[in-house]
Amino acid sequence: MSLRDVSASHIRLISFYQTRYTVRGGAGLVFLMITLVFGLTVAHAVLTPIEQIMAQQAKAGQQSDPQKVVAEIVKLGRPVIQWALGIESDENSPASSDAWTTFLLDDRPALLSVIFLILLFGMPLLISFLAFNQIAGDVQNRGLRYLLLRTERANIFIGRFLGTAFFSTLVIAIIIATITFYLGVNIKIYSAGLLVGWALHGFLALSVLMLPYIAICSWISASVDSPFVSLVLAKLIIGGVWLFALLGSLVWKPAIYLNYALPWGLQNHLLHPQLTHSLGTALACLGYMLVFLFLGYYRFETRDL
Amino acid sequence: MNEGKRPGGLTALAVLNFIFSAGGLIGVMGMITVIVLFGKLVENMDEQARTQFEALQAIGLPWFICLLAVSVLSSILLLISGIGYIKQKKFMGHTLGNAYAILAIITGIVSAVIMKPEIGGGFTIGAIIEFIYPVLTLILLNTSFKEDFTN
Repeated sequence: MSLRDVSASHIRLISFYQTRYTVRGGAGLVFLMITLVFGLTVAHAVLTPIEQIMAQQAKAGQQSDPQKVVAEIVKLGRPVIQWALGIESDENSPASSDAWTTFLLDDRPALLSVIFLILLFGMPLLISFLAFNQIAGDVQNRGLRYLLLRTERANIFIGRFLGTAFFSTLVIAIIIATITFYLGVNIKIYSAGLLVGWALHGFLALSVLMLPYIAICSWISASVDSPFVSLVLAKLIIGGVWLFALLGSLVWKPAIYLNYALPWGLQNHLLHPQLTHSLGTALACLGYMLVFLFLGYYRFETRDL
Repeated sequence: MNEGKRPGGLTALAVLNFIFSAGGLIGVMGMITVIVLFGKLVENMDEQARTQFEALQAIGLPWFICLLAVSVLSSILLLISGIGYIKQKKFMGHTLGNAYAILAIITGIVSAVIMKPEIGGGFTIGAIIEFIYPVLTLILLNTSFKEDFTN
């Protein structure tokens, strides 16, 4: 049995049932709830101050200009965005880095950019709720043995990965569509074209970013027999790499490079002003995905079930 | 129908029902406490809390009692339908679960219309978040879990 046994029709069928099963199995439902609440709460936290200031201005009988309100808040939030992008300070940063902040806050809808940056950070921490049980549960209850009578391991591994990735993409689409619609209808400071274009970019960035994290969950899930252990390991590895890099860098600066063990170190570049740069980052994410998928597949193919 | 074999998703939905039911009842008790202690609380309020109180008063007592009653009803429906999901009962789970979802969606719309933005009224992202669970319940009970209930 090898990758030569891969069958497109089998993969299609397995990925369809994986998408359906994620909701019926509970993991998808929990992920859906947590992610929707997280995404919309982030939007709520970003948009509420602006709405409150506009409401106060209207109450005081002043002419409310949403664009001025947003510009004021963006001015206050600029150092935070620069910190999030890894730009140390205005004086020391090269022109290209400063251009990045300007691109996100001035050239593109700033509110959407801020929401995307928070989602880019938060979504990898949530994805394991969806992807932890691709294989492990069926190994534990030995249900996989019945499936292996009808198809090859490669089809199961790839099909389940694709089904999980499809579900994650669908949820991201719902969140971004809701936020963009709300911004367009309620805040009304950005043109529809600009908003939709940037929303599409953010959607693609988040969707591509989830792939390596789902792949690492596939690898973990294919390596252990217990869904619970798989979830704990996925959480520890995804969150732990970021946390170790952050805390380690306080003691020993080069420890920050630990972030590159996962896409943590480069994921913000998916929102870079230069298209070639963001496309390069997307390719790097796909590279991470392929490496993790290969390791997971190798483990799954060679292990005793 | 898959009698006796409860999908994990239905169990997760039941657990969420219990959590939201408890949260709803605690919220109702909180609101009642606020009304009972109104005189004492109003003296120590900051400006934002005072604005929220004024907005709450602006709804009017009949609407307020109505919303309170609906909150209690929603919490009870959540609790009973949660038990219904666990037991996979058609009326207790499927019917009452749908009843909760429809009631919550209608209440959400009415609240958004009659309440001031200071206390969660109007078309805000916060209001959309409140719709997530009822809409999910409505969709899942009538698609993924439609065949999982027995009489």
